Amino acid sequence: MSSPSLTLPSQERPAARRRLLEILGALAIAATYVYLVLNQPADITGGPGSASALIALTGFLAGAVLLIVAVLPTLPASTLVLIPVALVLNIVLGQFVGSTLVPFYLDAIGTVLIAVLAGPAAGAATGALSSIVWSFFNPTVLPFAAGAALIGCLAGLAARYGLFRRFYLAPVAGFATGIIAGVVSAPVAAFVFGGTSGVATGAIVSAFRAMGDTLLAAITKQALISDPMDKAIVFTIVAILVYALPRRARQQFPFIRRHRVLAGTTPAADARAQGPAQDPVQGPAEGPAQDSTRKG
Amino acid sequence: MTASSAGRTAAPARRERLNPLTSLTAAAATAVITTAAGSWPLSLAVVAACLGLSVAGGTARRVLPAGAAVLVPLGLSLLWLHGLFFPEGRTVLAAWGPARITQEGLEFAGQRILQLAAVVLVLLLFSFSVRVPDLVAALSARGVQGRFAFVLASTLTLLPAIAARAQRIRQAQESRGLVVSGSLVSRARAFRLQAVPLVLSLIEDAGTRAAALEARGLSNTGPRTSYREVADSGLQRAARTVLVLAALAAVVLRVAQAGAGG
Amino acid sequence: MAEPVVTSSPGNAGKASNAGKDSNAGVPGKPVLAAGIRQFTFHDGQTPALQDVTVSFAPGSFTAILGASGSGKSTLGRLLAGWLPPGGHGLLAGFLELSGTRLEFDGGPGDPRIDAAQWGRHVGFVPQDPGSVLSTVRATVAEELAFGLENAGTERADMQVAVERTAGLLGLRNQLDQDPARLSGGQLRRLAIGCTIIAGPPVLVMDEPFASLDTAGADDLATLVRDLLKRGTAVVILSQMVDPLLLDADTWVVLSGGTVTACGPPAGMGAGHAEGSNGAGMLPRAIRRPAERNAAAPPKPPPGPQAGPAALQLRGVSFAYPAPQTHGERRRKRWVKAVRTGDSTPGTPVLQDVHLTVQSGEIVAVTGPNGAGKSTLLRHFNGLLKPTAGTVLVSGNDISGAPVGRTAAAVGLLFQQPRDQLFERTVLREVSFGLDRLVGPDMAAERAVAALQAVGLAKAAHGHPAELPASAQRLLALATVLARRPAVLALDEPTVALDGDGLALLDAAVGSAAAEGAAVVLVTHDLGYARTVAHRILTLDGGRLATA
Repeated sequence: MSSPSLTLPSQERPAARRRLLEILGALAIAATYVYLVLNQPADITGGPGSASALIALTGFLAGAVLLIVAVLPTLPASTLVLIPVALVLNIVLGQFVGSTLVPFYLDAIGTVLIAVLAGPAAGAATGALSSIVWSFFNPTVLPFAAGAALIGCLAGLAARYGLFRRFYLAPVAGFATGIIAGVVSAPVAAFVFGGTSGVATGAIVSAFRAMGDTLLAAITKQALISDPMDKAIVFTIVAILVYALPRRARQQFPFIRRHRVLAGTTPAADARAQGPAQDPVQGPAEGPAQDSTRKG
Repeated sequence: MTASSAGRTAAPARRERLNPLTSLTAAAATAVITTAAGSWPLSLAVVAACLGLSVAGGTARRVLPAGAAVLVPLGLSLLWLHGLFFPEGRTVLAAWGPARITQEGLEFAGQRILQLAAVVLVLLLFSFSVRVPDLVAALSARGVQGRFAFVLASTLTLLPAIAARAQRIRQAQESRGLVVSGSLVSRARAFRLQAVPLVLSLIEDAGTRAAALEARGLSNTGPRTSYREVADSGLQRAARTVLVLAALAAVVLRVAQAGAGG
Repeated sequence: MAEPVVTSSPGNAGKASNAGKDSNAGVPGKPVLAAGIRQFTFHDGQTPALQDVTVSFAPGSFTAILGASGSGKSTLGRLLAGWLPPGGHGLLAGFLELSGTRLEFDGGPGDPRIDAAQWGRHVGFVPQDPGSVLSTVRATVAEELAFGLENAGTERADMQVAVERTAGLLGLRNQLDQDPARLSGGQLRRLAIGCTIIAGPPVLVMDEPFASLDTAGADDLATLVRDLLKRGTAVVILSQMVDPLLLDADTWVVLSGGTVTACGPPAGMGAGHAEGSNGAGMLPRAIRRPAERNAAAPPKPPPGPQAGPAALQLRGVSFAYPAPQTHGERRRKRWVKAVRTGDSTPGTPVLQDVHLTVQSGEIVAVTGPNGAGKSTLLRHFNGLLKPTAGTVLVSGNDISGAPVGRTAAAVGLLFQQPRDQLFERTVLREVSFGLDRLVGPDMAAERAVAALQAVGLAKAAHGHPAELPASAQRLLALATVLARRPAVLALDEPTVALDGDGLALLDAAVGSAAAEGAAVVLVTHDLGYARTVAHRILTLDGGRLATA
């Protein structure tokens, strides 16, 4: 009668193979970046179709795909189902902002949202998937998959270590994330595209080129102007959104409960006006206590 | 209109024979080989072939606007950037202060644009001619990619649904007296007011959908079957293998050449 | 039909554990699903959502779990169906028993973890919003139905048989090749049921299945339920309204405040004399009794003739959604389709030469079947939709040029989905939104409080709107409209999702708004309700408005 068991085994541990894939993915991205930065001066005059473009594409894409393969099967259904929602937010806002003359992208709101709700691994997978699925309409975003994964991962780490508990820390975390992501993405723009896809960002790059910078240096500087601001804005928007969610909607995410990602149990901190923590005693005391027992 | 209806009648016959994975592999391999070769005649040939295929397949009406939306800003940006500011350029055609039009800069920009156009068009040609349900079925039948197929298909389904919901929310709020004026502050405020209920309802819906799909076995680790039948053949499988090998060879050759050359 | 189930009363919840032990497989009346919930608490909650609830369901039995909005029905249903796995969203102390397997929970780390997929093969659950169960990754109704079977690795031929059989049972044979996103509300609900029953679970739990279904849809659903019962499926319906079908149930379980307050066969609970009596019985007033509303209440006398222009006037209004683009590709079509309200097939006229005059103080009900264009009509009152021909006048002024946000000062529109209309972080801020610009800050605070009192939400003023029960959310949306004291009050299906208490508050609020001079137009598929409140009833059918 009771055919297959109605219950799951009590403990699940991530397979070592998955962990290995994650590490390989991260290594591929890091190695590609280092190689590109070391070899760039000789390359820019090498013309299009250069080996660097190929290496940038293969290295970053392979890294992103490895990350997806490692993370995607381990995600619970509740996170998996949220990813398409995040991708839609990314794509719609990204397409819209990209078509304006603002030197920002705002194409990571969904990624950062998932990262805050479900953690760095989910964030990284969402970022990479976002670029891949978006490339269905706009193939030029495909090479940025690694950068997008990095943003998701860093946002998740920021949430994990409590940077979303204080509202003013969120933009700071975003700013730092933007610096790292911008620097890592710059070689893609330089070697694969030979520039940037946006008109406003392109103007900034040409200003640096006019001063005699190499292409990579100019694009990196442009990224250092645009990306930190962009990510600071994105992290702020996500913080506003997450704090506007009712408690039950937030508390359904184990990542938020386990690491006490958000401050207090006050149902709504309009963070801009009054700061998040109004009721620091009650909620947090309950949450972690329950979780530490369950984590076992 | 005639073009699209002609395309509709002509296309199914061809699609039935072509597995979506075969066309995906073909598009990806073409993109890789074009990038690796880096020769403008090949890029030009690929662009021409894509245009021809999209017209023949009746997808030109959608491929061309989508391609233009991507390529026109990118092309202008590159022309501006390299046409005017290319410090490495030697052959100066004209100069105004810091801006110098150089032959090398124009060539660099032109080649990049052509090459990117080839890659973008071939990938767009694929995404606008593939039938997404077929692609999902073909991917789902192959293990790990099932979850990726879910994300892809769900995103494509949710795009219009979420756009519609955002519009409903805007209507409901306008009915409560929300007036969005042109100013940036007013827009930012309206964005917040609309984003909060949108995200909240999306998260709640996702929670319900997750439970429903979990109950319907989304997380099953065992074997799966597919209700939709997708055509495939030994020939196509062989073609896919050859295409993948060709793309790999192109990459290896190009990198080895670069290594030997410098 | 199977024997009535014996459902234990709340008092002996602690020792209800004999359910599994002393009965063996094959004995008639042995429950296929049972639960003894000492306590279930959400992670965020201070108070338990459920307490001392003991239920059991025998094969082929029919149970109605009745309770007002916020009584814990949905939580109970989801727990039974494995949709709220204990430990995931909250902590359970008690047991769940399914097909002879009994799982004990005490809220600690050693609790068993439910395998939702296996549980789902035994218990199907259909939530309130049927659209949210769709996989969103299947292109046709047939594939959507087969999704669960695909995941279980069923052979293709078996899947085809199962899809055919289920579609026949649901009356969806002709829709098998359609895109699920294009189904009507009733079809969508049947598809959602089909997705859960295709694997043949012995128990089916449905949450508010009758909400927003018109008579035809409700009849289809009743037939389906009887079919399932004949096949031996245990059917559990969670509802805040005593729908006629529920009078046939073997057992009623009444939930209130998260605990069972009464249970037994319907006849013993006042169901027998529902007609005419005011439903004393054992049902709390908060549970709606549609039957009693139909007969009662003589038609109201219309208000006397008014001087000045009518509050709302539609002159020869016609409307059709723009013709569809003729690209052959499905993704494009979905885009186009999605921005419509879904009330009509593309291209056909929805409204044809509609004339309507509503005086202030008058209450007009517009009825019609699902999909007749009632919501489309309402959207013309404040300019959300512009008529393709004809004019709309509010208090004598043509609104065609004004932005919707301005017209909203004179026309309050309440939508079907309250959540679309709510966006603030507390109930009070929600009601106060935009009021100070309208009437100044002092007046605004006063009006906001008054509006909250009118809908019985004064105590919840500092709660989060999204955390209110569905009925209270509707009332809050109503309060946001009432607080503005509009000249025209337009309500889209106001009764849906309201429980009995909510309905009484709605009646009072609409009555007093009309008494203060508002012109009220309400759109509803519930003719019984329309009769009790309206001065005039109109029907919308085939795009034309006629006196009922």
